[in-house]
Amino acid sequence: MEDVKTNSGQNLGIAALITGIITFVLAVIPCVGIIAIIPGIIAIVLASVGLSQASRQNSPRGVLLAGLIIGIIAVIISFSQIFVAGKIVRHADKWPLDIRSAVEDVKKDVLKDLEDNNVSIKIESNGNKVEINTRSNKDSLIMQLEHLESGKKDKNDTLKKVK
Amino acid sequence: MTPLRKSNSFLTAYFSELRNKPYLKINLVFAGIVVLVFAYSFIFSPDKNNYPVVCIYEKVTGEQCFSCGLSHSFSLILRGRFNEAFEWNPYGLRVFLFFFSQLLIRILFSFYYLKEINNRRQLILYDIFGSTIIFLIAFYPFFLQLFKSVFS
Repeated sequence: MEDVKTNSGQNLGIAALITGIITFVLAVIPCVGIIAIIPGIIAIVLASVGLSQASRQNSPRGVLLAGLIIGIIAVIISFSQIFVAGKIVRHADKWPLDIRSAVEDVKKDVLKDLEDNNVSIKIESNGNKVEINTRSNKDSLIMQLEHLESGKKDKNDTLKKVK
Repeated sequence: MTPLRKSNSFLTAYFSELRNKPYLKINLVFAGIVVLVFAYSFIFSPDKNNYPVVCIYEKVTGEQCFSCGLSHSFSLILRGRFNEAFEWNPYGLRVFLFFFSQLLIRILFSFYYLKEINNRRQLILYDIFGSTIIFLIAFYPFFLQLFKSVFS
């Protein structure tokens, strides 16, 4: 019996090849290299689907294989742009230090603000008022802990009803 | 045969074969993409600096990568300001020449594909080989930088 060749998967092959070549060109350019992973994966998917169709219908696979191979190489190149990113980040050693010092400054400011702060929370519900007072000062907290351990009643950090 | 008739017969042959020949479809799409690249470079002005595509690395780190300024460079080359184009990106001209050569190759090879019916396979092989060589020459600095980054 003679094999009948069809053009099944041929359009997918063309699409995969075009996408793969575009990805290849983009992948080499560092500015957009990492983004090229997306069209690269699309090219591989198109080529794979086309190949499965072509193998079922006994169609020519040249364009599909070319699209698949170029797509895979393009994705590898695109992925290797991560190393370029790493190199650029290593060269740009100033900005991580700036961010670190900024975070440290913010941390210090927050701790300083909290150090001697008195916090007062008032809750009012159905005519009943509840007031919560607390201090974040380390010494006062130690004193408070000692008071609690000794079993004495402290006015602070307790719920009191306000009439 | 007048030149007008000749060009008409070429276009008629082109569009009648376009459906069945993947090579012609691929050529048409790539020629369109190159034209779009040139249109992008021409529409957006290097003086106004209004390019929509920005470098990811520059955005994140503040440091420029070696392909930064390619859009500016392309725009300046299209406006004939070659020295400024070189200042924006030293590799701009060779990448631009790659795209320009691809546009010419797509048009010329489509023409010869229709003309040389018996040597089509050979023509496609020439195209693949020639385009690969031009691509490697044009993007050689980028490959070199990539190679250094991966293996250093």
